[in-house]
Amino acid sequence: MVEKENKVTKEKKLKKVSKKSLKTMQKNRGRHIVRDKARVVKYGTKGFGRNIWLSTAATVVMAITLIILFVTIVASVILTNTAEMMKDKIDITIYFKPNTSQTVLDDLEDTIRKDPNIKSVETSTSKEEYDKFMAENADNDDILEIMDEEMTEIMIGKMQSTMRIKVYDVDNLDSIKNIVENDELFKANTDKEMAPTYDVNRAEIGTITSWARIARTGGIILAVVFLVISILIIFSTIRMAIFSRREEIYMMNLVGADKGFVRGPFLVEAEICGMIAGIVAGVVSYFGFKFLSPKLAGYGIDVSQINNILESNQLVLVFLTFIVAGVLIGRISARLAVHKYLRKA
Amino acid sequence: MILLDSVTKKYPGDSEPALDNISLHIEPNEFVFLVGKSGAGKSTLMKMITKEESPDSGKIIIGGIDLDYVKKRHIPGYRRRLGVVFQDFKLLPRRTVYENVAFALEIAGMSNKDIRRTVPKVLELVDLANQAKKFPHQLSGGQQQRVSIARSVARQPKILIADEPTANLDKLTTKEIIDLLKKINDFGTTILVTTHNEGIVNNLQKRVVTLKHGKIVDDQKTGGVYKLDEAPVPKRPARMVQTPGHALRPKRRVI
Repeated sequence: MVEKENKVTKEKKLKKVSKKSLKTMQKNRGRHIVRDKARVVKYGTKGFGRNIWLSTAATVVMAITLIILFVTIVASVILTNTAEMMKDKIDITIYFKPNTSQTVLDDLEDTIRKDPNIKSVETSTSKEEYDKFMAENADNDDILEIMDEEMTEIMIGKMQSTMRIKVYDVDNLDSIKNIVENDELFKANTDKEMAPTYDVNRAEIGTITSWARIARTGGIILAVVFLVISILIIFSTIRMAIFSRREEIYMMNLVGADKGFVRGPFLVEAEICGMIAGIVAGVVSYFGFKFLSPKLAGYGIDVSQINNILESNQLVLVFLTFIVAGVLIGRISARLAVHKYLRKA
Repeated sequence: MILLDSVTKKYPGDSEPALDNISLHIEPNEFVFLVGKSGAGKSTLMKMITKEESPDSGKIIIGGIDLDYVKKRHIPGYRRRLGVVFQDFKLLPRRTVYENVAFALEIAGMSNKDIRRTVPKVLELVDLANQAKKFPHQLSGGQQQRVSIARSVARQPKILIADEPTANLDKLTTKEIIDLLKKINDFGTTILVTTHNEGIVNNLQKRVVTLKHGKIVDDQKTGGVYKLDEAPVPKRPARMVQTPGHALRPKRRVI
């Protein structure tokens, strides 16, 4: 009985001493976060150099992924902008009988503005239309020659008053058509010989809009595919690095290296790959766009928004995004590999 | 300093335990040889001490710490308290002699200034001060083992365990290594060396613990003449050959 009690007391004492020793041991570790991190970065950098071929392959794939991501975003933006630009150029012109007065035109404007699809309305009397015509032909000597007072009177008497309408949604013109065709005031004043058309350029706009959609969807699919490939390559690179250094890792564990000290260099290595890939992709994308943008603009594609970004201070932000994206891809894939293959380390 | 109380370990697939009810007490500052043929259980015992393996039953207390309470998160810190020397040296191949020794201090969180001060002293102790800039492949086996010892003692551990440190070395180099371990023991470090080299055991006249088929069959406190083939037979029937399971079992590595 006494012996049993002694054993229990001894056990308790041993437990207390062990736990205290372990606690002291943890405390006494000369922890210095900056110094430890610096050492991990140093080993990671050395590892990058040591596996230069694998590192280069991983960097290239990551750079390609980032470039594809950039192209996807840019294509989507410029095609959407081009479609918007073309939509903005579209207006519906309604011709009224010559000499329709400004008061009537104002009433007509008030009527059409009731439609929520109306973006802007611009009216013009016969006199204003004549002035516009003359301004457009100011250099045309033949016209100037025949335009005496009498001719001017005839011209003004023949020219229709107009209403130019811009809409928010070119695909939804039925309500406007309904007003123009059924409203009594419109019916009384519209020039029946010059009926407005409601499907101008709609086909072209449709094409560009669908291209923008394709660019967005296709680009996202392509980007995701390359992202996965990129992560898999980095994953394999780190796995191979872990495999080739398994003895070293085993030794590190046996001499008491902390988990962070063993894993850290692999993460740093992948982050370096990502950083370099980000810089390379940024430079290639920048100069690639600069080279292609005049050609694209020649085809009537609106590249102004991207050009503005690349020519402003936001360029730094774009480069930083490339680098951060690269580092993130590297870190995520390395984390996966390290988690899978150094789980017990 | 090292206490094993009724420790048993059996690997899955083996018919016999690798360690069978082992009890061993090693006092501070002792120099102990752990001898036995291959498969006797020496390496398993070492792995228990380094916490690479855990016993199925029994208690292990190292330097006052009951290893039952050493959780996964404590293992690196616990291992930093030990010095470990391996048969195959386990040096970092792409790092110089200096960097290999410095690494052990870096992971312990020692400042660069202290590392710069400590490493040359340790290299001097192992007589490699003039080889600091060389890489492991430029050194002889004996020199590599001395680097390994330097790395182990750089943090001044109270316990140094050496698993067959002379197995790959010639007679003269073996003597040099054992002399070096003796020198470290004279500084106050408890040393446990596994070996199956009769010569070094008999020359040094230190405590010899003999393992056979996972059991301690002899413990000569004051040294003596040891003959590997004449080790006493354990009371239990001996396992004469390794089981196929033992041969096929994958190496138990931390990674």
